[in-house]
Amino acid sequence: MTGSIQRVVIVGGGTAGWLAAGLLAARRPDLSVTLIEAPDIPTIGVGEGTWPTMRETLASIGIAEEEFLRECDASFKQGSRFDGWVDGTAADSYLHPFTAPPPGDMRDLLAAWRASCPDAPFAAAMTPQAAACARDLAPRQRAMPPYAGALNYGYHLDAGKFAALLARHATKRLGVTRIAAEVTGVIPADNGDIAALELGGQPALTGDLFLDCSGQAAILIGGHCDGGWIDRSDVSFNDRALAVQVPTARDAPIAAQTVGTAHAAGWLWDIALPTRRGIGCVYAARFMDEEAARAVLLDYVRTHVPGADADQLQPRQLIFRTGHRERFWDRNCLAIGLSAGFIEPLEASAIVLIELSLNALIENFPASRAAMTIHASRFNELFRYRWDRIVEFLKLHYALSRRSEPYWLAQRAPDTIPARLAEQLELWRDQPPSSWDFPRVDEIFSAASQQYVLYGMGWPAPPAAAPSPAAAARLVEVRERARALAAALPANRTYFTAAAAAAAPHERLVRT
Amino acid sequence: MSNHQILNPADHGTLRVHTGAGAQFGDAVMACLTVPLEFRAVQAHYPIVFRRDAASGQFSALAMFGFDNGENLFLEGDRWDARYRPLAMAIQPFLIGRPAAGSDTPQVHIDMAHPRIDHGGEGTRLFDEDARPTPYLETMAGRLGDLDHGYRQYPAFFAALERHDLLEPFTLDVPLDNGARHSLVGYHVIAEDRLAALDGGALGELQLEGQLLPIFMAVASLGRFADLVARKNARVALG
Repeated sequence: MTGSIQRVVIVGGGTAGWLAAGLLAARRPDLSVTLIEAPDIPTIGVGEGTWPTMRETLASIGIAEEEFLRECDASFKQGSRFDGWVDGTAADSYLHPFTAPPPGDMRDLLAAWRASCPDAPFAAAMTPQAAACARDLAPRQRAMPPYAGALNYGYHLDAGKFAALLARHATKRLGVTRIAAEVTGVIPADNGDIAALELGGQPALTGDLFLDCSGQAAILIGGHCDGGWIDRSDVSFNDRALAVQVPTARDAPIAAQTVGTAHAAGWLWDIALPTRRGIGCVYAARFMDEEAARAVLLDYVRTHVPGADADQLQPRQLIFRTGHRERFWDRNCLAIGLSAGFIEPLEASAIVLIELSLNALIENFPASRAAMTIHASRFNELFRYRWDRIVEFLKLHYALSRRSEPYWLAQRAPDTIPARLAEQLELWRDQPPSSWDFPRVDEIFSAASQQYVLYGMGWPAPPAAAPSPAAAARLVEVRERARALAAALPANRTYFTAAAAAAAPHERLVRT
Repeated sequence: MSNHQILNPADHGTLRVHTGAGAQFGDAVMACLTVPLEFRAVQAHYPIVFRRDAASGQFSALAMFGFDNGENLFLEGDRWDARYRPLAMAIQPFLIGRPAAGSDTPQVHIDMAHPRIDHGGEGTRLFDEDARPTPYLETMAGRLGDLDHGYRQYPAFFAALERHDLLEPFTLDVPLDNGARHSLVGYHVIAEDRLAALDGGALGELQLEGQLLPIFMAVASLGRFADLVARKNARVALG
């Protein structure tokens, strides 16, 4: 497994940088991995929801689930719920859960749903996870093996604590070298590659492959290397967010999913951790000013977080431009994380893109400089494809809305709908989303995700014959499984209280 | 101390019960009662022996898990190492209660002092939000019904065994690999030579009553003592 590409230099110590360091060091222990972290750079703190892929990622890095949950103040995420996106009425809510519908032909399952339980929401008919989410239940019992659950799940986490845990693990247990310094310049090689980085007064750092994890600063991919930039704000309008963290009571229920609530010119995120809720108002500056967004945010806190003192909160504003690199991998520099691209966190795509980028890199790690050019070209093609799918999938959430505010009407204007999405919607009148529409390995949003949004938002089921007995039986199984799980799974709050009590003696032992 | 209550959604609507295995849940026992209708399943894992109650003179059947009080050789931490647990274990912390007045259907009782009763919010609920029994409770109620039915068959079963003189005292002397000896005293097993000598009329009568199958299952179950001894030796070797 050894080649001439040996020294990997990572610039930036946020979630992307430390995930890169941990995964590379754990899966390719033959490489030398160095991470340069400028002191005093705060994390952006928006990427606080993961996908189920994070379980595999953490297991391969070698971090125990219990340790991760405790150290990152993390909770379980079983999907996303969208409130108010269709018409904004009180009953307007649908779930995009992580557990896929039962196996079988979706046209047949849809027919069985319409025939047997037309009043049940699509997600509730298709997966027992809806019942667990509705009751704030954990997806697993504490006695189950680590990283296993009765239902598919990812996490909500404190991004600052997460980066710190990954940093400790990578440096203390995996042999990653950490340098506290600022990158002040690039020393080019004869072929135009990056030969070394200048680090202020410290000696220059040479490397074979450089990972730009420097966030929106993009100091390598948007500096010495030119990855280009493709703006996607013509499709994805939101460019501002106001974020707050609201402490919660020790016995408050912990929601099992991210909640995204639509407002007049954007939406709010609501992410529940054991000790606090992260709430943010995402909006488009050309449809809403900061003062109005602040009012929307504080009003949400007042009505949704019992006991919170909304007047004491100091929302932090984030300004972002939506888009991504034309080339994520240019010469011997690969951008991972916010340096590669940014889009509103509607479906928590930020952290999973980091994981997918790292898996693609590690499983196709270039053995030589010549091979790197080929891998870079393939990587760029794959991630351009993935970004296109993300942009389209997020747009789907707006395209199916019936809200009538100017912002929502503009979101549905035909010239803002990507051509491929418009084509999909045309086909989905006749057939449900399937793997024919999303044929690649590790599609970022599978046909199941598309189905949950499409039918969650009331898209009509395609014409079908009477349902087969097998499809009807699948849906009965879902209902029975939902009853059994609703009885057997603990509430999230109970789970974390019990886990903390069980860990307490161990904590004392470690700290004395 | 036990605390038996009639199970009902008003009192037990949010109650949870621990369903796993473990000494802390009362699983560290050397034997439990078993009934003829489950002998076929029980004999696949456990020896079945009989014991006469000194006071009442009544026989009962036991599935054996160990050789000493409190010793369950099938219990490994939080795992019960057999695919079938006898009904009398599987129904805990529930009990069969007397039928309500005017009914002959027994009621489900629960022992609120049983260690399987949860006090921390984990475990499995018995009723859902609509006070409907959960699938877990439905399963438990089914098992209680089976066990109740099994107990009702006891008198006829033991009457048949006594009528044909098919029980004989049994003492098992267990030499262990480390030189120690254990013995089981005071139990009865099926008298195989007398069973073999039964004539066609007697066998036909037992067959008609449905007693022949459990009798042979009880005979077959004695083969499981070899497994029980092996488990004991493995424990002793581990120290």
